[in-house]
Amino acid sequence: MSHLKNRSNSVKDLFLDKFNNKLVLILSSVFSIFMGLTVSGLLMLFLNQNPVEAYKLIIEFAFIDSYNIANIFAKSTPLILTALAFGFAFKAKLFNIGAQGQFYIGVLAAVFVSLKLGWMPPFFVLSLSLAASFAAAGIWASFIGYFKAYFNANEFLVSMMSTYVAVAIMDYLLRGPLQESKGEYPQTDLIPNTAKIPTFINGTQFHYGFFAAVGAALIIYYILWHTRLGFHIRAVGQNRNAAEFSGINEKKIFIIVFLICGGLAGIAGFMQVNGINHMAVQGFEADIGAAGIGVAILGNANPIGIVFAALLFSTLEVGGLMLTQTSSLPSSIIGIMQGSVVIFVVISYFINNKFNILKRKRKLINNGEEI
Amino acid sequence: MKYLDNVFIEMENINKVFPGTVANDDISIKVKKGEVISLLGENGAGKTTLMKILYGMYKADRGEIKIDGKKVNINSPQKAKKLGIGMIHQHFTLVPVHTVLENVLLQLNESYAPKYVENKIKEIGNKYELVVDPSALINELPVGFQQRVEIIKALLGNSKLLIMDEPTAVLTPQETEKLFKFINEFKSEGNSVIFITHKLNEVMEISDRIIVLRDGKKVGSINKKDADREKLTQMMIGREFDFEVKKNEATIGKKIIEVDNVSIVGETGNQILNNISLNISAGEIFGVAGVSGNGQEELADAIAGLKKISNGDIRLMGKSIVNLNIREIINSGVGYIPADRHKVGLVLEMTVEENLILKSTYGQKYFNKYKLLKSKKLKIDTEKKINKFNIKVSTSKALVHSLSGGNQQKVVVAREVTLGDKLLIASQPTRGLDFGAAAYVKRTLEKEKSKGKAILLISNELSEIMELSDKIGVIYEGEILDIFDRNEADLKKIGLLMTGVRGESFEK
Ligand SMILES: Nc1ncnc2c1ncn2[C@@H]1O[C@H](COP(=O)(O)OP(=O)(O)OP(=O)(O)O)[C@@H](O)[C@H]1O
Ligand SMILES: [Mg+2]
Repeated sequence: MSHLKNRSNSVKDLFLDKFNNKLVLILSSVFSIFMGLTVSGLLMLFLNQNPVEAYKLIIEFAFIDSYNIANIFAKSTPLILTALAFGFAFKAKLFNIGAQGQFYIGVLAAVFVSLKLGWMPPFFVLSLSLAASFAAAGIWASFIGYFKAYFNANEFLVSMMSTYVAVAIMDYLLRGPLQESKGEYPQTDLIPNTAKIPTFINGTQFHYGFFAAVGAALIIYYILWHTRLGFHIRAVGQNRNAAEFSGINEKKIFIIVFLICGGLAGIAGFMQVNGINHMAVQGFEADIGAAGIGVAILGNANPIGIVFAALLFSTLEVGGLMLTQTSSLPSSIIGIMQGSVVIFVVISYFINNKFNILKRKRKLINNGEEI
Repeated sequence: MKYLDNVFIEMENINKVFPGTVANDDISIKVKKGEVISLLGENGAGKTTLMKILYGMYKADRGEIKIDGKKVNINSPQKAKKLGIGMIHQHFTLVPVHTVLENVLLQLNESYAPKYVENKIKEIGNKYELVVDPSALINELPVGFQQRVEIIKALLGNSKLLIMDEPTAVLTPQETEKLFKFINEFKSEGNSVIFITHKLNEVMEISDRIIVLRDGKKVGSINKKDADREKLTQMMIGREFDFEVKKNEATIGKKIIEVDNVSIVGETGNQILNNISLNISAGEIFGVAGVSGNGQEELADAIAGLKKISNGDIRLMGKSIVNLNIREIINSGVGYIPADRHKVGLVLEMTVEENLILKSTYGQKYFNKYKLLKSKKLKIDTEKKINKFNIKVSTSKALVHSLSGGNQQKVVVAREVTLGDKLLIASQPTRGLDFGAAAYVKRTLEKEKSKGKAILLISNELSEIMELSDKIGVIYEGEILDIFDRNEADLKKIGLLMTGVRGESFEK
């Protein structure tokens, strides 16, 4: 028997197969984006605005000058990270809905380190602040994994609830120990200059953190497909029984996955504190967690897809903001655009899923017969 | 004209290509009313694919299907059911956390009162001796009973043609007899059956006509009365085949595994395993005979560390392993071919490569000291195993779910044989394998035995146990009723013990 006959041919077929899958995914994303924008466009008609004109303006505004272009990158930086925080867990079939809270824990750790250790040279403050935000939020989130592993708690609920706790901690600290010296608002003092992430383009908010976020996406990709941890995560995600049968410790995987996810969302906090706001303000960036989920969904939980999805969301945000400032459109139209894109992605997921469930059913049936 | 009237279904010039494989190559078959057809062929010959096309689960690339002479377009299983085609699946079309009744309700197109369906289940159960408690949870049922639910599900659909893809693989000989009784009854009502199996004696017993596939092509169709074992084999593989598995007289070495008074008590206080004791030495195959669901899976799981025991001790090479975790037991040289390869044996969405190293991810064999994958080594080793174990696959990076059933099993066998260098637990190792592959697995077990491994063989097929084992233990309701040496084993006595009739009553 020549099992490997037509080997090169088969490899090519396999490649085409994979490529086709990817292509379908990309096409359905593009289609969803198109549909989402069309629906928001219809809404604009009700507001007596010409949608075609509006979209032209959004693109124009988004790329009108280097400041706005830079802003797209600045805005996408934390989005990439909170999206990874959702997407990475998803690969192990775990739901991390608590990126918002993890982000706040990261914010607090970063601002604390930056304020207290601001006397150190920039490299040290920044490294420590980054490490602290990752560690604090990572440990914070690892409890979700721990409860899942040892008490069989539902990680969806626990992670969702943990955000409320994180908000409460933030409220307390920003009205107490970490409050600005003036004692007026629930916010911290500005961090010293040594703790600011240098900008990539002077006079804009585009800081080097963007590259770190892309780096994080690449690292996550690498972890998933080239390391033992990634192997275990995918095995646990796809067949927990087989993973157990193979001696893979799923409890450990639950904890590590949440630790990494929390850490990623925590770094998003570092990016905002040390790169953009240069302080922490009570309840700021209140939808970064939810937006991350949207981006992760649009990016199909794929680290590379997430980077592009985040850039798209940020473009809409930046161009849309100027549009609403120069027209009678309300600023909520940006959220509506992003929201309807995500809704269409979910719909196309749903359709895809139906398809896959059918396929899976067939496969199961198929496997059943074949035993 | 008369002949044509009698034809129920025709599949004409069916073609189906998967990436890298032509699964069906211009196949035409006819099914007459009141006829049982056996579909024969080696693993990967395209049997399942052809039946899936008939059942509306796959779309043929070319070809058409006619029912009663009229062309039909079967684009979904629902459509197939409406046209009177039913399919019996072996596993996994059941939702494990739901009850039998819920599972049956789930697949019905129209809604019925649960009470009505419950009665139906009982009625069918009594009629065909397929009794199953409608309120039992699927995941608490042994594989054999899950199979019954599948059969009942298909029977509820008023089918005129039943497709059964390897339905007997999980059945005991007694259950198979009952199934055959049902098939004959079903046939006498003017209905048809397409029956897939790898067991030639079943083919000779049940079919009116036999259609043989090889490499995706139809080799021929012959009437049962013109067929015999040799002829069918010849058609299937295109040459004569040596069925015999040579029995190696391995020298019996020292004790490898000792199971010492092991009991497992279930959550409700029921005795799952009851004081089981057995030893297996190096160079010895210990066969556990028994009707499925009598504790053999639990025994295997207990040794492999997947199930905690309530009492007793299990020693490997003299050292107790009851407190070791699964990974430690794997590392001490225990391989385990599980009965349920899809549930625990494989991650279907991962590649052949990845499945082959599923249990070898710790240590530095495939991951370096930074825990990074050694992809080159993985590729080389995988290709060796693919060749060594005759796994039919287009590339080592193919996802396991794209392999035919038999080839999936070979992936598991390849992995476990390699891992289990002291003890190899083989639970239903030849299930779903064509006889070539089954003979190959049996030879592998023999070979491993002669290398000095201890082998625990669990099988529903008494013939397989008799063929391979040096010692035979009969298990019934969690208890080993008796242990025989191969030479003194009496088939009749073992058969009776399997049904719980003990020696004393046997004497009477
Ligand atoms: N979904 C799929 N994707 C790709 N290839 C497939 C798919 N299903 C089957 N094949 C390939 O088609 C060929 C025929 O497979 P099929 O399942 O029909 O074999 P079979 O005769 O049922 O074998 P077995 O006795 O092992 O169950 C095999 O080479 C298999 O690898
Ligand atoms: Mg098959």
